[in-house]
Amino acid sequence: MAANAGNKIRNAKVVLLGDVGAGKSSLVLRFVKGQFVEFQESTIGAAFFSQTLAVSDETVKFEIWDTAGQERYHSLAPMYYRGAAAAIVVYDISNQASFIRAKKWVQELQAQGNPNTVVALAGNKADLLETRQVQIEEAKTYAQENGLFFMETSAKTATNVNDIFYEIAKRLLQGQPAQNPQAGMVLSQRPNERVVSSASCCS
Amino acid sequence: MDPGPNPTPDDKGLAALSLRAPAALPPDFAAVPEIEDEEEEEDDDEGYFTAASRGGSSSTAAWKEEMEGLEEEEEEEDGPPSPSSSGYAGERGSSLASSAAGGAGIEEPDHHDVDAPQPHGPGAEDWARDKKHADEDDASASWRKRKKHFFILSNSGKPIYSRYGDEHKLAGFSATLQAIVSFVENSADHIKFVRAGKHQIVFLVKGPIYLVCISCTEESYEGLRGQLELMYGQMLLILTKSVNRCFEKNPKFDMAPLLGGTDAVFLSLIRAFSWNPATFLHAYTCLPLAQATRRAASAVLQDIADSGVLFALLMCEHKVISLVGAQKATLHPDDILLLANFILSSESFRTSESFSPICLPRYNPMAFLYAYVHFFDENTYLTLLTTRPDAFYDLKDSRARIQDVLLKANVLLEVQRSLHENALRVEDVPVELSSQSTSLPAQSSQGNSQSLSSEMAIGGPAGLWHFIYKSIYLDQYVSSEFASPIRNPKQQKRLYKAYQKFYASMHDKASGPHRTQFRRDEDYVLFCWITQDFELYAAFNPLADKTQAIKICNRVCQWIRDLENEIFVYGESTLAWQYHHCWGDI
Repeated sequence: MAANAGNKIRNAKVVLLGDVGAGKSSLVLRFVKGQFVEFQESTIGAAFFSQTLAVSDETVKFEIWDTAGQERYHSLAPMYYRGAAAAIVVYDISNQASFIRAKKWVQELQAQGNPNTVVALAGNKADLLETRQVQIEEAKTYAQENGLFFMETSAKTATNVNDIFYEIAKRLLQGQPAQNPQAGMVLSQRPNERVVSSASCCS
Repeated sequence: MDPGPNPTPDDKGLAALSLRAPAALPPDFAAVPEIEDEEEEEDDDEGYFTAASRGGSSSTAAWKEEMEGLEEEEEEEDGPPSPSSSGYAGERGSSLASSAAGGAGIEEPDHHDVDAPQPHGPGAEDWARDKKHADEDDASASWRKRKKHFFILSNSGKPIYSRYGDEHKLAGFSATLQAIVSFVENSADHIKFVRAGKHQIVFLVKGPIYLVCISCTEESYEGLRGQLELMYGQMLLILTKSVNRCFEKNPKFDMAPLLGGTDAVFLSLIRAFSWNPATFLHAYTCLPLAQATRRAASAVLQDIADSGVLFALLMCEHKVISLVGAQKATLHPDDILLLANFILSSESFRTSESFSPICLPRYNPMAFLYAYVHFFDENTYLTLLTTRPDAFYDLKDSRARIQDVLLKANVLLEVQRSLHENALRVEDVPVELSSQSTSLPAQSSQGNSQSLSSEMAIGGPAGLWHFIYKSIYLDQYVSSEFASPIRNPKQQKRLYKAYQKFYASMHDKASGPHRTQFRRDEDYVLFCWITQDFELYAAFNPLADKTQAIKICNRVCQWIRDLENEIFVYGESTLAWQYHHCWGDI
């Protein structure tokens, strides 16, 4: 995943949203550190991570905001999703309520987020087949109707975890025009943090 | 002035408070015999059932909506039960609380409670292990036998937090507590505490939020009340006082979901009540460091503070390495305690850099600050507090600069070394005054041979086992390591309980404050000495000679003064404290 010398590096802010216990932190820790713990503690506020991913001849440097799912932090979410290049809305396939919560996040993103934001829907804990409450078809249909891309993931088994970030990277490099870094963005006001990216395509 | 070691005032004042009818309060509460040993073990040493147990249920209206005043969905009403029986209790409690105030704090010091064999030390991973026993409720025998309960509830009787058991299942019990409070308030009075047999039920009313402690640990009313104040402060740190507005809009507002995922924070605070002297001294403690090392850390923090950070704190576990505040901003020791407790008990802060809204209740209970938290290693962490919600990247840069300086100046290495080596040991108290400013072990016991039996030789001179010294101007304290006779955590916890009682009796508003107190019981000789500048609490072997003990206390004070540049933080902000030393009550 290391960037090669000649690569263009594109920074991309990604935010994870979703209900308490859906597995946002677990997904991030799996992706960033390759780790998984069975009893992940609640996130406080928001945790910041970064990780780079090479896609063809380009490198995407993800700046990942893992937000807390707790209700009291809900009001902070716009600070993180505004100006995000991508959002991953996470639910737990064994918890119907978390899917309902995920839909609310999607609505909020559609209403208040940046229309250019790539939104991914992640049905996490895909290893918990026996206690599944959210059918894959249901989620797929919902994702199609709302223009999201969808994957079932498992932070525990690492299934689709890198893939979902890879897919985001690809989409960012493909279709998305350069983000307007100042559009309603609160957290990235540091000018030098934003590398102006070329809109060139890959693969 | 000696408020006296005799146990009688307690009987006079408090006996009348006893509720003879067990039905008068939570049914059977007083009638249940205590589980002795294992119970107290559980008191502090339990498995993890922490965040997850309260996390899942929060699909109600969002915090934001609450704060912005959207309609809250209608809640089922919890009808308060008939206050007939509990009202009786409340009335008695309130009418007698004031007369008992003089007696509280000098309760007789018998210890049949057995303490936990859990190491108290700041091993953060242990704290989160307290079990909540979410399967219990007030009908469970095990729940009723627990030695110390803490409850937070709303003034409509809705449970917000319970140390043990599932809050949802405790709705009836919470309603009972609420009824007690409101019964007394209906007669234009305020309930302070109720005594029911061995149990003491302490109430603290904070606007729409009630905090209750039910305990049979024989701690003083003042001590328990202080603990409730800290519980409230911890809650404010997470939510701010503006949560009150939710109750103005909807008296039946269900606040419990807003505290989702914070069980570990409260449990670790409750544990701190039995090992961390900061919880009753209202002072913080520093990591001993060479002056130059601390200066290097302070200088770089000061630079950062000058560039728009409100407070910058570098801490190692619960000990302050350095702290600075922006101009005129001062940090209260209780806020330091609550902030450190919050950070250390939330595993999430250790996994990456975090940015989280927190409130410092003594600084401004109404407003959130934003905390950038970063752990440099297992136990050393930097907290930068700002009022700017968009400051993350700036603070991240600041952290990098601070980290550079700390590495270059070897501060982080020195911190690790100090953590293991620089503790104050009672064995090192200089016996000869001529040996001032050295910290060599005091092997010269011959000097005091008349008071040093072979047993006395264990520990420091004259049988000194432990001491705590609090500098009043600095709001800082230092405490020694525990000497071998109190090496085990059970004994340490017991000593802290004795100190807490001692503290309460020294600061008793009715009969005090007092200057000195000397008390001997079967466990120790305790000596306390309060002057304008400091408070000293010392524990000696129970056979220690009084004159010798007092002499040694003088030497301890001299020794502390000799070491003060290494064991206390002197900064610009601490200077500000000296001149604006005017902390009010909460």
